[in-house]
Amino acid sequence: MSLLKPFSKLPGLNTANILLVESEEQFQQSLADALVEETSVTVNVRLAKSLPLPMENDESRPRIDLVVFIINLTSELSFQSAEASLKYLDPGYFLGKVCFMVTNARNASSPAERLDAVRKLASSLHCPLLFAEDQTPDGVASATERLLTILKVAAGLVPIATALYVSNLTRCTLPLDIDQPSFD
Amino acid sequence: MGSMDNTAKRLLQRLVRRIPSQMLKTTLDKWSRLTAAQRQSMDYAESKWALTEKLLAICEENELTVKHIAELEMIHVIENPNLGMWYVFQLMDPQDDAHSVELTQFKEQFKSHLSELIRHVSIKIKKHTDEAVWIRIAWGDTFSRPNHLKPTYVVHYLQTPYVFLTSPTSKQKPLLSQALVLSTRYQAIKDANLSGRKLTAIRDLLMKQYLQVFPTKFPSPLAERNCVVSNLHIEKEQAGSAANRHQMACEAFGDGILPQLQSAVYKLETKFRDHTNKTMTERDEPFKCVVKFASTNLLESLRHSASSGVTSTPVTPLLSSVPLKGKNYFVITDNGPGPSSQMKPSQK
Repeated sequence: MSLLKPFSKLPGLNTANILLVESEEQFQQSLADALVEETSVTVNVRLAKSLPLPMENDESRPRIDLVVFIINLTSELSFQSAEASLKYLDPGYFLGKVCFMVTNARNASSPAERLDAVRKLASSLHCPLLFAEDQTPDGVASATERLLTILKVAAGLVPIATALYVSNLTRCTLPLDIDQPSFD
Repeated sequence: MGSMDNTAKRLLQRLVRRIPSQMLKTTLDKWSRLTAAQRQSMDYAESKWALTEKLLAICEENELTVKHIAELEMIHVIENPNLGMWYVFQLMDPQDDAHSVELTQFKEQFKSHLSELIRHVSIKIKKHTDEAVWIRIAWGDTFSRPNHLKPTYVVHYLQTPYVFLTSPTSKQKPLLSQALVLSTRYQAIKDANLSGRKLTAIRDLLMKQYLQVFPTKFPSPLAERNCVVSNLHIEKEQAGSAANRHQMACEAFGDGILPQLQSAVYKLETKFRDHTNKTMTERDEPFKCVVKFASTNLLESLRHSASSGVTSTPVTPLLSSVPLKGKNYFVITDNGPGPSSQMKPSQK
């Protein structure tokens, strides 16, 4: 099985590479356009719908520092696709080089159970869970900023901080009453 | 005692209510039954009620009858074909001279055949600029005069076997079918299982007036078109499979802007299949249900669902039959392909 491995290639100078995985292929495009605007570091963005990635690109693909799974909470397909893609990542990625980003958390058509399921998934994998608003430029900008913060650490560009250390601080934790029925 | 009887008045009232004030002027001009002075005297900023009264007076002055109002209605319907509910019928088994039927012959034959079949009927035939023949029929019977308040509109494109009808009742359909078959020199007519609110959409679908995409071994133009990556630093990992899906979606549904079909209905008469539910699967009779897809543009939605990977590609014949066969009503049974309106269900 073709696992994506975190340390099998050499890093680039002052470069950070991020992989955005999104079943709907919408938000990832606007995030990518915003991410490459960063000036202090060269950011390369790879876009995918799901994992595994095609073997043809293995040679030319740079070392991926951070893998972001974008899940639209209004779509069950989006969640299932992200979940199914997880097994194509080498376990080494789950030491601070994977993060989950969800959209439409406040949308009335997103069932609460799905957010709980994503929380449980992120928490069991020790990954951070970010909430993003994808419809406005401000929402895209703030999501980009947060991703860049984590990306720079994951790419080893921040002195003293390592991905594993930061992930201990940022990882998703479950509220104690997550399995209680909510007031609706 | 004026020329405008009750029916004429009601028809006029209904028309003025239906036609938006901005369009009323152009429609009345096209009608050309008003003198220049009368047209000048109409103030289209007035209320509809005031306009109706004004028009009624003018019609009385010009001694117009219900037949003239029917003309006005026809002009309005021809200009706004997408406001009705249209049903498509297809003529079958052309005779040798079917392909050389031209307008005058068709008009005479249709009028004479329909009048033979039904005593009191009012027929108006008009040829539109786009080769369509429009027919307005007001039905009466042995005892009563034609009812202009419930007309049937028929559109036929000469040299094609297609006929579009609005709301045919079960009594009128056989008479209309007979007249159509005889005047077009075919031998039969059948329901084409296609209907919709927009005449232009179902016509374009049927006559394939949209960009067709054919299977090709070297879709290189498509690869160039897919190069929408804005930046050297952004790379799509799965561009190849995305291009494949897009190609297959376009092969099934077409490229560019698609006719605005708004619904598709599948009537299922297949056995219930779900291994986890023994009670239902054990039944012998088919599980009857109706599945309806609705959208502002159904074909574009289906194409997008295929190119984005939501529905699997290659596109299932259940969906691709809509544009391929030009139908939006299907009866699915468990047997193999039967008569043209039946299809084999997919394996899933």
